[in-house]
Formats: sequence, C-alpha cells, structure tokens
Amino acid sequence: MADKVCLQPCLGLRKEAVLCRQAFYVVHEELRPDQTVLGCGPALNANVQEDLDFIEMYPVMALEACDLDCATKLVDKKGKKAARTVRVTELAKDLDIDLDSLPEGQNIDTEHPAVRAMAERIAAMVDEMLAA
Amino acid sequence: MAKGQDFKVAVLGCNGIGRLVSTVVRMAGYKIKQMRPDEVELLSCGRLAVKEPEHMKLLEKYPLLVIDGCRPHCASFMADELGKQPAARIYVADVMAENKINVAGEKRRGLTEKGEKLVDALAQKAVEEIDRIIADEMLSTL
Repeated sequence: MADKVCLQPCLGLRKEAVLCRQAFYVVHEELRPDQTVLGCGPALNANVQEDLDFIEMYPVMALEACDLDCATKLVDKKGKKAARTVRVTELAKDLDIDLDSLPEGQNIDTEHPAVRAMAERIAAMVDEMLAA
Repeated sequence: MAKGQDFKVAVLGCNGIGRLVSTVVRMAGYKIKQMRPDEVELLSCGRLAVKEPEHMKLLEKYPLLVIDGCRPHCASFMADELGKQPAARIYVADVMAENKINVAGEKRRGLTEKGEKLVDALAQKAVEEIDRIIADEMLSTL
C-alpha cells in the first residue's frame, strides 16, 4: 500500500490553475505534509529524476484547471497513469466556490476561503487514496 | 509599430510549483503581460507538454522568449523538445545576481516585498528582450 500521494497540478496561468496550485501548497505544507509529494509538471517533462520517481513510487492525483487535462496527459506521456483526475471546476461547483469572484492574472492568498475549502477536500481525497 | 503587422513575442516561463522561483516566474509572466499587453502571448508549459494545438500554433508563429526558473532549465528543455529555437533566454538567477536581490526567507505560496522586487526585475529584463526581439523582427521586414 502506498504511503504518499503525488499531487500533480495543472501548471497553467488562469485563475483556476492558480487556485489548484495554492490548494496543493496548503495540502502539502500544512494538512498532509507526510502523506504527499508535490509533482512539478515542467520538471517531469524534462525528466528530472525526483519527479520521475514521484510518479513511479506513488499514486498520482492530477488536479486539472480545465478539460484539456494536461497534468493527466503529462503523466501518460511518461508511461504512467494518474490514479485520480480531479477537475477544479467540478470541485468548485461541489464546494459552492464562485470562480467568477476570483481574480485573474494574480496570486490567490492561501488563506482565501476558496483555497482552504479546496485544500480540505483534496486532503480528504488523499486519505481515501491511501486507504484504498 | 507598423500597422497590419503582427509583431508579438511568445513568452514561455517554466511555471513550475516546487520552488520559490516557480512563483517568481509565474508572477513575472502576469507583469510582463500587463507591461506589453499587445505584444505578448503567454504560453503554458502544461499545454505545450501535451502539444495542445492552439498553443503549438502560437509557439510556431511567434519568436520565443524562454524564462527558466531553476537549474534543470525546464522551459528551455521544452523549447528544445518541440524544436523551437528561442530568440532569447532568461535565467532567474542571473537577474537576481545582476540586481543584487536577496530573496532569503520568501515563500513559494506568496511573495512579500523582497520577492516582488525580483518579479519586477525579471519582468523588466523580459520586456527589454521583448522590445529588442520585436525591433529585430520589424527591421527584418523593411
């Protein structure tokens, strides 16, 4: 059974991608530091050993900002399958997060309620994946 | 700028997540777009990594400025992988050294004034390169 989950975010520039990235920081640095690793997309693409190891050793949760599913496809490209693909837009709907209210083209504070809510839900998903 | 000509530069920052510089590069990208809204197309590493057609067209169409955050030079790797020769490359550590900026203590989840100084310096360096690339492109058409 795996003891960590690799969090693989969309690395786009739109606000949904920023929300995704900030939520992953909260999960990895605060909520589940010992149960997660942060996968870096460009590094994985560039065959940085640490990032190749992450997707080899741990189940991957890909968090996607849109339906292009780039993080999931990148893991595919490296010969592995994401164990779970989650879309920020669907998660936001489920959590009653109003994406229209978030700023475009700037950072979103990790104390923002939308980030906290998303991070809490992702942490619960990590627990589910590790228990499976 | 000459009317009817589409002089733009595609900017590919690494936009990683693992390090402080990942955030610096992303924030600089937004600033670059603010500073040169009509001359810049910001590219997403994620989309290019999976060869999303719309992004591939932008990559092919415009001269490319690459911004690498950390030592693996992942944005440069991506350009090389896709067969695109950058018109210019910027490495964040060079900008940091040139401007004697110290970002010790900064956090990747959100920058303070110190980190913003590096963002500003990086964006300034990038727009200088963008202006030079566009001038070069323009002169080559005359």
